[in-house]
Amino acid sequence: MRDVAIIGAGMIPFGRRDEDTLMDMLAYASLKALDDAGLGDKSVDAVYVGNMGGGMLQRQTAIASSLVDRLNLMPAAAETVENGPASGGSAVKNGLLAVASGYYDYVLVVGGEKMREVTGWRATDFVATMTHPQAEYPYGITLPGMAGMFTRLYMEKYGVTREHLLAISLKNQEMGTLNPYAHVEMALDRGGIFDSPHAIVNNPTSADPLHLYDLCPVSDGAAALILCPLEMAKKLAKPPILIAGFGQATDTQTLQERDDPTDLKAVTLAAQKAFEMAKLKPGDIHVAELHDAFTILEIAESEHVGFFKKGEGGKAAAAGKTRLGGQMPINISGGLKARGHPVGATGVAQVVDIVFQLRHELPKNRQVQKAENGLTVNFGGFGNNVLAFVLRRVQS
Amino acid sequence: MKKEIAITAYKCKKCGKLHYPYHDRCLACKSREFEQIKPQGNAKLLTYTAIFNLPWGFDQRFLILGVAEFENKIKAMGQIKADSVDQLKVGMKMKPSWEPIRVQYGEDVYGLKFEPME
Amino acid sequence: MPIDMELEAVLRPTQYPMPPYPPKTITLANGKVMVVRQAVREDVPAILKSVHPCLFIERDYYDIVSARLYGELLAWYRYRVKSEYCLMGQVDGYLVGIVNGRMENEKVGMSYHTLAIDRGLRIGSHLFAAKMEYHLEYLGQEEVLIVAESPIGFRRWMIEYPLEATKIPHELGGGDSYLLTREIYFKAKPRLVVGDRPVSQELMAEAEAEIKFADDDTIRERIAGLKGR
Ligand SMILES: CC(C)(COP(=O)(O)OP(=O)(O)OC[C@H]1O[C@@H](n2cnc3c(N)ncnc32)[C@H](O)[C@@H]1OP(=O)(O)O)[C@@H](O)C(=O)NCCC(=O)NCCS
Ligand SMILES: [Zn+2]
Repeated sequence: MRDVAIIGAGMIPFGRRDEDTLMDMLAYASLKALDDAGLGDKSVDAVYVGNMGGGMLQRQTAIASSLVDRLNLMPAAAETVENGPASGGSAVKNGLLAVASGYYDYVLVVGGEKMREVTGWRATDFVATMTHPQAEYPYGITLPGMAGMFTRLYMEKYGVTREHLLAISLKNQEMGTLNPYAHVEMALDRGGIFDSPHAIVNNPTSADPLHLYDLCPVSDGAAALILCPLEMAKKLAKPPILIAGFGQATDTQTLQERDDPTDLKAVTLAAQKAFEMAKLKPGDIHVAELHDAFTILEIAESEHVGFFKKGEGGKAAAAGKTRLGGQMPINISGGLKARGHPVGATGVAQVVDIVFQLRHELPKNRQVQKAENGLTVNFGGFGNNVLAFVLRRVQS
Repeated sequence: MKKEIAITAYKCKKCGKLHYPYHDRCLACKSREFEQIKPQGNAKLLTYTAIFNLPWGFDQRFLILGVAEFENKIKAMGQIKADSVDQLKVGMKMKPSWEPIRVQYGEDVYGLKFEPME
Repeated sequence: MPIDMELEAVLRPTQYPMPPYPPKTITLANGKVMVVRQAVREDVPAILKSVHPCLFIERDYYDIVSARLYGELLAWYRYRVKSEYCLMGQVDGYLVGIVNGRMENEKVGMSYHTLAIDRGLRIGSHLFAAKMEYHLEYLGQEEVLIVAESPIGFRRWMIEYPLEATKIPHELGGGDSYLLTREIYFKAKPRLVVGDRPVSQELMAEAEAEIKFADDDTIRERIAGLKGR
């Protein structure tokens, strides 16, 4: 297996992008990554597109074929990867394995989603189609609903409080104001969303015990990466970022069939595999992008990947340990909470954000000083398909 | 007329593990032979939520859903008949029934409902 | 040409007496304080300046809502509508939202429109609630007729209160009206109607000193976002 490096990274601002089609967004992000890698007028050998909803929301299929056509990347190999909200991570993985195997040298990985094409009800329904078609979906369950049921159990078992969840919303939306690619660019005020009696309207219950600001927004957006063998990446202007480790694991589709529904085994396993391959430990990570589609997930994942002991993640967040400058900075981009969660884009966007961090090219107010190793976790379904990547800055 | 609860769970003939919904191979021993089991008795509430941002097809203000465990250990999701989550607590006894849970293509879809008994 | 007051006496609809809406403040999700207060007729030209840029925003039917609101406020300003009122939200003096309505008769109110000039802060929800509060608690009416032009409005008002469907026609020929009764209102009030009274003198003075409004581009950007350009 060859070592694989990321030599190009690009992202377009997430949010509600009424003027753009799904194809526009995928094309813009791809061009940014190609330019970033200095491949402006060159081609790649293969293209992997992460997308979950093109078929349902845009009534468009064979998206990767359409993209190579728009970008004139023919005759590159191309395919679309659908893996729910982990589609982006799965696209990165496919690109990684393709280069590692020696079969392809230059690969474009792009993830994108256009969810705001439809009303909120339809978007909620679209996301809910990943639940079990007989045992869950017909009842009206939604992903925030799954998260609500999980949160209730997690709070009870590990003593997570609303105070802890609040720390995540406040931190991530504050960081979002510094990120030019973020969907939500508004810092929250503790009084306005919690302490004041007016919070009942500002931050209503969304899926009990979760409130509006515990949830990520519904977004449009795209992000892209260029991968190549590390050997070929060494003479480039920007420091190549090594994909040092990767892991993926699955779990039962319904929560009730897990021995312990608060145990996100797929997160633990995916992260363990990624750390093993990278020969690193959780303590070696300097910056992480975790899948905070719901605030509880940032806490639970920070424990399951090994940053904190079970039951300590919420306290650590409330104590500021996961902020910039803290012991373990998490979601300095604003995370899904503020960057937004265009489902197919997220897994790629997380890697793009870590690439920016490890290249040390961010402004001071969101650069983790001397960051050498980063982790991403892309969480599909309700934890039934999870990918983790360990990235490392290569010393030149 | 009260309808029978039309859920089938699957008990592994080799190791006895109980499954709902269906799997082609046992989650414990990978065996493929199952005995069909019907849920029995009342149920115990394991977790629940009230969803206020509902998908297309639901016109009410909110919907309370939960997962409960029947007396013969089958666990399943259902809609909960309550006015508010304040009436619920984990571990409470629930009466199951089989009732319309939504309308799809103009027709009632039936499914599990649970009603608090305390 | 001077206004022909003899003719005006014929053309101007009669007005019901309308007790004032007592101002209140609401703390928003970003910690800013919004003053909610009643506009006077003389405020209309200033308010219309903020409504104008919204006429060209298709997103969420801002164009239709603001065109209708523009006409309604103008009609109030020039005495061509019966018993209309307008409430507004101001943050740091800046106008962030406008709601209006009128009295159909002493018992029945008619909710006109809700225009939020800043998004993502539930300003529309707060101001719509203030409007219902005015009809039922200060004008002492029995019920309010409501229609929604946008899906967001539909979701917020029809489902959140939840309102009753009726067959009563829309004032401008749109979909049939929905109804808010006293019973529905007082049941929903604890979770939808908030605000502190009285408003401090400083805040009131700031709000009344000048109705500030952002420039057209800023308003358009706040509503439609710059994303995608
Ligand atoms: C919570 C939720 C229902 C709110 O939707 P809504 O009330 O209809 O929100 P609106 O569309 O009216 O949004 C208005 C503004 O509020 C803000 N906003 C909306 N949801 C927000 C959220 N969850 N967090 C912060 N701000 C949010 C945005 O600024 C938005 O502006 P935009 O239109 O420019 O994006 C929606 O965000 C949601 O469904 N989130 C969960 C998504 C999900 O489950 N994803 C899949 C996970 S695997
Ligand atoms: Zn078995």
